[in-house]
Amino acid sequence: MTAVIETKGLGKRYRQLQALADCTLSVPAGHVVGLVGPNGAGKSTLLNLAAGLLAPTTGTIEVLGGPAPAQLAKLGFLAQDAPVYATLSVADHLKLGARLNPGWDQALARARIDQLDLDPGQKAGTLSGGQRAQLALTLALAKRPRLLILDEPVASLDPLARREFLQDLMEAVAEQDLSVVLSSHLIADLERVCDYLIVLVGSRVRVAGPVEELLATHHLLTGPRRDPATLPDGQQVISASHTDVQSTLLVRTSSPVLDPAWTVSEVGLEDMVLAYMRQAAGPGRRRTPGNHLEVQK
Amino acid sequence: MIWLTWRQFRPQAVISLAALAAFAILLGATGPHLASMYATSGIAGCHGTGGCSYVVSSFLGLLSGFYTLVFMLGIAGVILAPAVIGVFWGAPLIAREFETGTFRLAWTQSITRARWLASKLALPGLAAMAVTEGLSLMYGWWAAPIGQAARFANNSNFPLGMSPYSLLAFDAHGVVPLGYAAFGFALGVTAGVLIRRTLPAMALTLAIFAAVQVAMPLAIRPSLFPPAHMTQSLAANFSGQQSAGPGGTFGLTLDYIDSEPGAWIFSSGAVNAAGQPVSLMPAACVNAHTGDPNQCLASHGIRIAVSYLPTSRYWPIQLTETGIYLALALVLAGFSYWRLGRRLP
Repeated sequence: MTAVIETKGLGKRYRQLQALADCTLSVPAGHVVGLVGPNGAGKSTLLNLAAGLLAPTTGTIEVLGGPAPAQLAKLGFLAQDAPVYATLSVADHLKLGARLNPGWDQALARARIDQLDLDPGQKAGTLSGGQRAQLALTLALAKRPRLLILDEPVASLDPLARREFLQDLMEAVAEQDLSVVLSSHLIADLERVCDYLIVLVGSRVRVAGPVEELLATHHLLTGPRRDPATLPDGQQVISASHTDVQSTLLVRTSSPVLDPAWTVSEVGLEDMVLAYMRQAAGPGRRRTPGNHLEVQK
Repeated sequence: MIWLTWRQFRPQAVISLAALAAFAILLGATGPHLASMYATSGIAGCHGTGGCSYVVSSFLGLLSGFYTLVFMLGIAGVILAPAVIGVFWGAPLIAREFETGTFRLAWTQSITRARWLASKLALPGLAAMAVTEGLSLMYGWWAAPIGQAARFANNSNFPLGMSPYSLLAFDAHGVVPLGYAAFGFALGVTAGVLIRRTLPAMALTLAIFAAVQVAMPLAIRPSLFPPAHMTQSLAANFSGQQSAGPGGTFGLTLDYIDSEPGAWIFSSGAVNAAGQPVSLMPAACVNAHTGDPNQCLASHGIRIAVSYLPTSRYWPIQLTETGIYLALALVLAGFSYWRLGRRLP
C-alpha cells in the first residue's frame, strides 16, 4: 500500500498558536479518505501543508512521494469555502485553469459546466454557494490530478447542494481513478462517500482504517456492571458508561466477543467517531465525571 | 499566468487608458495654440532680466484662466498618479487575494508562487511606470513654452512662473515620475503582502508615500549634489532685496540669479570684502538717506553671496532621484517575493 500523504512529526506553529504538533500519519492511495476531527484538530492546517500552501515548522510531509510544493501539477486542491475570483466569469475560470495547468482537460471541464447548467458568461461572484463549490471542483478535477484534496468542501452548503456535490464527487472519482482526501467535521457526509477514515484529534491520529474494517471490529457491549479492566486482552475499550447495574462499552477487537454476559450490537460510524473524540478530549468532557473508568491502550 | 494577471488588471487598465486619452485630447487641442503664443511673445530672443521680464510677464498674463487651469491640472495629475497607482493598483494586488482566499486557488495551480508574483508585479508595475511617464511626457510637451518663460520669472508669477527646481514642477517633469510610479506601486504591493487586508494596506501606502514625497524634496534632494557658490556685487541693477532689522542689523536676499536663470537658490546673504558674513550695517550707511542704499553698502565692499544649484545639475538630479526610487521599488519587490516565498500564511 503506497501512501499519497506521509507525514513524520509534522508541526505548524503560528505566532502564538500551535495549529498542528508532532503529527505522524499515512494516507493510503486508491481510497476516498475522510479526515475527521473536531474544530481545531489541525485538519485544515494538515491539508494546507499537503497542498504546499503552508510550510511546516517542524517535521516532514511528503505528497505523492515528493515534497509537497513540488507536486502542484499532480494535485487538485479545493480550499475551504471554495474561493473563486468574483469578477471573473465561469468561462474565465476555465481559461485560467487551461493557462496555468499543463495537464488541463478542457473537454472534461466543459462537460461538467454543461452538466451543472452553469452559464459560462456569469460572473463567479454571483454564483450560489453550491455552484461556486462545483466550479472550484471542476477546476480541481480538470487538472487531471492524481490526488484530490478537499478542505471542508460541503461545510457551507445547504443539504441539497451538499448531496449533489458529494454525488458529483463520487462520479468523478469513479471515472478518473484518483485518490481523494476530504476533511469534515460532519461524519454523516463522510459516511456516504469515504471508504477509509482517519480520526484526528489534537494533532494525533486516534484511529485510521478502511470504514468496513472499522465497523466490523467495533462493537457496543451492554451487560451487567463491570470494570472494563477485567475484559480480555484483545478487547480495547474506547468508551465506557455505567449506571448502577449496567455497563455500556464500545470496544475494538478483531476477534468475536464470546462472553455471554454481553449483548453485542453493531455501532454506527458516527457513534464510533464520537467515542474516539470523547476519549481524546479526556475526562473533562465527560457528561458524568467520575462515574466510569477509561482504558487507553 | 500573464493572461490571468491581465484579466484581473483589465478594469484598472481600461480606466487609466481612458483618463490618459482624455488628458491627451485636452492637451493636444490646446498645445499648438499655446506654442504659437509663445513663438510670438518674443521670449525666445530676449536678453537679460530687464529685457525678458516684460515679455515674460505679458506672456504669462495672457495665460491666466483656462491655460493656468490646465497647467495646474496637469501638474496635479502627474504628481498624484503614482500615489493613486500605489493605493488602487499596488495595495489590492496581493491583499485582495488574501482577503478573499483566492490565493489558495492561484497557488494550487501548476505554476510556482514565484512565477505568479513575478507576473503580478511585472505587468501592472510596467503599466504604472508607462502611464505615469506617458502622462508626464505629454504634459511636459504641452507646458514646455511655459517652462521656458518661467526660467526668467520669479515667485511672484506663481503658479505659471515656477522654476524647474520648484517643488511641484520638478516632481512633474523629466524621468522622476517613472521612479515615483515604480516606488508607489511596489510600496502598495508590499503593504498588501504585510497587512493582507486591502483597506488598511491602501491607507498605509498613502501615508508612507506622502511622507516620502515630502521628505525627498525637503531633506534629500538638496543634498544629492554639493551646491555652487558665487558672490555678486551690489551693482545698480542688483535685483535682490535688502531688509533692515533692529539694532542696525540688515540682510540681503536674492531669489534670482541673472547669469543662472532657473537656478535653485539655497541661501543668500551679505558678505564683506574678505568674504565673511556681515549682519551689522556699516555706520556710514545707517543714516544714508540719499541715493541707493545698496550703493553705500557696495562702496564699503559689501557683496551678496549665494549658494545654489545651477540648471546644469537638473538632469543629474533627475536621474539620481529616479535611480533612488527605482532601487527602493526593487528592494520592496524583493522583500515581497521573499516574504511570500519564505513566510507562508
